Amino acid sequence: MLLQYLWFLMIAASLIWGVLTGQGNSILPAALDGARNAITVSLQLLSGYLFFCGLIAIVNKLKIQQYLCRMSRSMIGSLLGGETDEPAAEAVCMNLSANLLGLGNAATPYGIEAARLLDAGSSKRHGLYMLLIINATSIQLLPTTVLTLRIAAGSADPNAILLPSLLSTLASTLTGVLLGVGCRTLSEAKHGN
Amino acid sequence: MGIDLLWPVLLMILLGAAIWKRLPVYDLFVSGAKDGMTVAVQVLPNLAAMLVAVTLMERTGLTAQICQWCAPLLELIGLPREVAPLVAVRPLSGSASLAILERILSQYGPDSRIGLVASTAMGSSETIFYTVCVYLSGCKDRRTGYAIPCALIGMLAGLWVSGLFFR
Repeated sequence: MLLQYLWFLMIAASLIWGVLTGQGNSILPAALDGARNAITVSLQLLSGYLFFCGLIAIVNKLKIQQYLCRMSRSMIGSLLGGETDEPAAEAVCMNLSANLLGLGNAATPYGIEAARLLDAGSSKRHGLYMLLIINATSIQLLPTTVLTLRIAAGSADPNAILLPSLLSTLASTLTGVLLGVGCRTLSEAKHGN
Repeated sequence: MGIDLLWPVLLMILLGAAIWKRLPVYDLFVSGAKDGMTVAVQVLPNLAAMLVAVTLMERTGLTAQICQWCAPLLELIGLPREVAPLVAVRPLSGSASLAILERILSQYGPDSRIGLVASTAMGSSETIFYTVCVYLSGCKDRRTGYAIPCALIGMLAGLWVSGLFFR
């Protein structure tokens, strides 16, 4: 929905700008170059997906996320607020641990299930909002797709971004969570409980 | 020492642990790679649509113009102006931001400050609106409350931290 307006806006603005600056002739070549670029980039991505998805299939079977889940269980409970029931907290746990490990495909079904349980389980939606905030601020430890593109672009040191990415994503998730806790406190104060 | 040991050690631990647990590592890798192939095939048409738009913007000079307009805003959070399109599109579309990151990496180089900051910003953020949509897809009540503003401000904080590196 939103996407089609973004796409239309990007193209329409370039067409108008291109015509205004007298580059009507370079529009079609640029469009076709863009499509050709998509082939190159998806070949680069294909190599990354082949390797990392293959690896992830192995990691998935190692049950590391179940282990992480057990370790972080009490922390998750307090993040979601006291009223969360067991199955919901379990789904949130599995969702977050899988996302942490970059198991996006495994994480999403847990996330949808967790959101459904949190939505149904309580009239106050603070736990659900917290789940959304944590996921929307990214918690992936290793940004494998970015690494793939950096290596394909011939980087001398593709790993240089790993520590900065980790610290940035930590900052974003922490900020989001703290703001979320602030909003929860405010709304609870307003409704007098 | 340090980060160059990450991949050899990580791969050795993961594969070693899998062999230790008598998992069929070869078959698992092959079936995972098959999923990866499907993902790449699904990504191609989306990337084509987005790269057409991004290349048009770049070639007509609109991207450079937008970067110039956004320069003061980006300097406010300590980012180079060239990452403006990436930051703008990141919360909305994964393929569009991948397309823009690829253009940035090939234009300025992956080891330039611009390329490094762009990679870090991309690696540490998420397609906020898409993620929220997908996660709420099973809920009766689709209200997002304060989740999106909190996530967006969180992303800004992450971007600010990204800009502190690679000086």
